[in-house]
Amino acid sequence: MNVVIDWIAFFQVFAAALLGAAAIVTFYALGLRLLVRSGRAPVVSPAEFTDAITAISEKELKRPEKQAAKAARKSPLTEGQKTVALVGAYGCFALCAAAVVAGILMLVIGH
Amino acid sequence: MVCAERGTAGSEGSVSHRPTLSQVELTGTGEGGRIYRGRLTEVKPTVNSSFVTSITSTSPSFLNDRKRTVETAALIVVLVIALALFFDFTNGFHDTANAMATPIATGALKPKTAVLLAAVLNLVGAFLSTEVSKTISGGIIREDAIISAGADLFLSLIFAGLIGAITWNMLTWLLGLPSSSSHALFGGLIGATLVGAGLGGIDFGMVLSKIVLPALIAPVTAGLIAFAATKIAYSVTRRYDGKPDGRDGFRWGQIFTSSLVALAHGTNDAQKTMGVITLAMITIGWQSGAHHEPELWVIIACAFTIALGTYLGGWRIIRTLGKGLTDVKPAQGFAAESSTAATILASSALGFALSTTQVASGSVIGSGLGRRGSTVRWRTAGRIGVGWLLTLPAAGGVGALAALLVVWLGNWGVAIDAVIAVVIILGLFLRSRRNAVTPANAMSDVAESGMAIELPDTPPPTRRQVRIEQAKAEAKARAEAREKAKAQAKAQARKDAEAKAEKKARAKAAKSSTSNAGAKRNGESE
Repeated sequence: MNVVIDWIAFFQVFAAALLGAAAIVTFYALGLRLLVRSGRAPVVSPAEFTDAITAISEKELKRPEKQAAKAARKSPLTEGQKTVALVGAYGCFALCAAAVVAGILMLVIGH
Repeated sequence: MVCAERGTAGSEGSVSHRPTLSQVELTGTGEGGRIYRGRLTEVKPTVNSSFVTSITSTSPSFLNDRKRTVETAALIVVLVIALALFFDFTNGFHDTANAMATPIATGALKPKTAVLLAAVLNLVGAFLSTEVSKTISGGIIREDAIISAGADLFLSLIFAGLIGAITWNMLTWLLGLPSSSSHALFGGLIGATLVGAGLGGIDFGMVLSKIVLPALIAPVTAGLIAFAATKIAYSVTRRYDGKPDGRDGFRWGQIFTSSLVALAHGTNDAQKTMGVITLAMITIGWQSGAHHEPELWVIIACAFTIALGTYLGGWRIIRTLGKGLTDVKPAQGFAAESSTAATILASSALGFALSTTQVASGSVIGSGLGRRGSTVRWRTAGRIGVGWLLTLPAAGGVGALAALLVVWLGNWGVAIDAVIAVVIILGLFLRSRRNAVTPANAMSDVAESGMAIELPDTPPPTRRQVRIEQAKAEAKARAEAREKAKAQAKAQARKDAEAKAEKKARAKAAKSSTSNAGAKRNGESE
């Protein structure tokens, strides 16, 4: 019995998945970083405190917002630099979305 | 590559089917895949006729019996479709909601929203690709073996395989063992075919390269990718000045990545049932064997069944998830989800049928390891690994048993199998009605795999943090040394001053004493 195993296909899957995941994570993280730099640090509290998440009080929820506002006030960057960072952040998010769309299109059209 | 593989399989099969090979040569197609397909179309009519003649030769009345066989076969096909759809439902019921394990655990989505989103996106995903379905309907089980076994028997074998899959699924669920619906399905089908059609019935190259090896490799590669992605996510957003790092924003991102995971689930999980139904349809001749794509109504039925299963099964995950994945942070969840989605989507594109639960578990473990200071709980990890490896052969064993009944008892065996199926389905239904949550049944597999990683409350510092700390300590030491030196210098100065003063005083005293002595001497001399 002649058993043919397509090892190259495994490598293709691994490479494609690694590339895709790394691209999404890198661009998204970079976008967040630039967002923070532009003085708009995202503060997102949990949508619902399930058993898995330790519930925190209103005051504790406000603390990160205050910290973010304080950091933004103390930012040494000029307004122009902040705008550049913000544009960069949205650019990164757009690239991230483009990577996802490209992946799905490759799946649908590629075969 | 896929084409080349099919070509080999086709030429192998053609050894036992000389006449068909010549027919293919007549059609004159050069490409490997086409030869295979061409052979199938040529063979199909002969199947039905030989199958019918074998029955008619033993029967007294030609027409009646032929009608009855067709009716029996049709009945079995309907049974297979019903059972396959039920399997699809259970698959959605306790596997697919796992896509939403991480976003619920980090609070990115409300549990109810998450489950609804998972159901809708599974529905959409099921329409995106049919590669995995084609793997099952057109590659694993050799059509020439189906032909030699007879369409009737083969349908019963698919039925037996499904029974094996569902039985094993239910057993693992009751015992709280980590398992995979997909592997149970493949194991059942392979086991039943091995018993019914022998070793030649399975295309082992295809089974190894499209099912067994992806099953073993995919969770590991997903883990590796998740590990790398977690490292990237943390290192890009890390700050050393204690200001907000914006990692909260990963919660937004998780809404998108977890949606992507649900979509990927649809492209892989729903396809498996489509493949089985298509295989049954091809076997009975309701669908031409020339193409292995599922019919539109099959796609729609499977897509809606898995979506319904996902939605109805969601309550379980809402209630139980909290007990498992306690320590997932948004950045980590984001990395794990993007790795899961990327792995499943890439595999679906190439037609690899893998266990989506295992890929998600592998990602959660990998991303846990990507966080600083994490250690593996080897006991839990080992238990999960054993469950993964065990599913395929165990479901194969159950499927083989069900197939033995069919081989020994014929239609009676099918009837007994059907009764067993009904009992199992009823049992499953009653089990799902019971609301007891115990450690054995409470956790989803993905949540359980999160327990394989232990994380400290305060992670050890990174190399750069160590360097910064060191630099701080050095600066402090230097300042202290300077301080000390200053103090020493001051003390020395004071000492010197004291010594000087003492010397002065002594000199003064000496002077006065000498002047006294001089006066004395003067007085003496006077």
